[in-house]
Amino acid sequence: MSQLTKILAISIMVFIPISSHSHNDEKHSLIGESKADKLDQCVEPTEVMQKEHFEFLYHQREETVEKGIRTKNHSLANCIDCHVSHDEKGIAIPVNAEGQFCQTCHVKTAVNIDCFSCHATVPRDNSSKIKSTGYNQNIHIESTANNLVEYYKETNYEK
Amino acid sequence: MRNSAELTRREFIVKSVTAISAVYIIPDLIPKAVASKPLDVEVSDKTKWAINVDVNKCVDGCTACVEACVDENGLYGFDRPETDSQWIRKLRIKDIKTDKVTTLPMMCQHCENPPCVDVCPTGASFRREDGIVMVNQHTCIGCRYCMLACPFKARSFVHENLTEQVTSAPRGKGCVESCNLCANRIDHGSETTACEEACMKEGHHAITFGDLADPNSRVSIAMQAKPSRRLREDMKLKQRVTYSGF
Repeated sequence: MSQLTKILAISIMVFIPISSHSHNDEKHSLIGESKADKLDQCVEPTEVMQKEHFEFLYHQREETVEKGIRTKNHSLANCIDCHVSHDEKGIAIPVNAEGQFCQTCHVKTAVNIDCFSCHATVPRDNSSKIKSTGYNQNIHIESTANNLVEYYKETNYEK
Repeated sequence: MRNSAELTRREFIVKSVTAISAVYIIPDLIPKAVASKPLDVEVSDKTKWAINVDVNKCVDGCTACVEACVDENGLYGFDRPETDSQWIRKLRIKDIKTDKVTTLPMMCQHCENPPCVDVCPTGASFRREDGIVMVNQHTCIGCRYCMLACPFKARSFVHENLTEQVTSAPRGKGCVESCNLCANRIDHGSETTACEEACMKEGHHAITFGDLADPNSRVSIAMQAKPSRRLREDMKLKQRVTYSGF
């Protein structure tokens, strides 16, 4: 009897997390449409990706930063390119926005993601000019130099 | 009668020499069209990326290289010139004796003996095999020792939360960053950095980028044509960025 309860307890411990992770074989139901919606599986089988995607990312980041290997399969840029959802107007929704691909599972499992404090959350190439307001004056050397001179005058000469 | 498959000594030597030269020598004589490596191959010290700046061709008031760098890497700022990131900046130097004014772009000099790498406590500041000195922002703790160690003020610290990074240049609060010779671009096969491309487009041709290991590359030819020097050569940092014309 005690053996039976043990087996039952172990089987519950093993299977419940798996079933809660795996969307019960349903596709993601996210707002918007992504390239990934139309594909059967990711770069590895779905079960592998669910449990080990961060291992792939950790491995790839060392390869890329230190050795300059730029293969696409396990790169974060490629993940985002494929998994980012687009709304009806075709505008990309950040992957870490509420209810989006990364965020849904990470909220559920209470695992914080750090990737997007530095990495772009939507595919953004450098031809789509950022040009925040006043950035041109900001980078202009003459004005920068003038600002610096005034800054030093204020900080040094008054003392 | 002699077997036709049998070779005379002379034929054997001629044929084997031809075969060896076809396999080993001729491929080396043909200049490679593209110096770039395939995406899945590690960078190696067979490539030595370098920049030569011809100061005489650099035009006073032109900031094309700086703007190109900002666009390429998404370096937007917050209108705070004391703390905003700059990977490349223009300097204006005046000779006291002759009053001659020189302007030049100043960026990470990609030293072969980089002081920023020596002082980094986590190994985040490192030198890639092909000579690019860069920051691994995954391990950077933002202590800014490298900024103090750098004699060229090449590095910047990101003080504020960023949201509009470009995919090819991840950057964020709490990390040090600097020029990485457009590592992403050249790993993907580009033969120019953003600053060189901008300088060429302006028609100034002051910045020349290329592979020092290849004697036919643009930078090698530029450096053979005129004397060049490193800044503060007394520190023996062996920078890969050299300046000509002053």
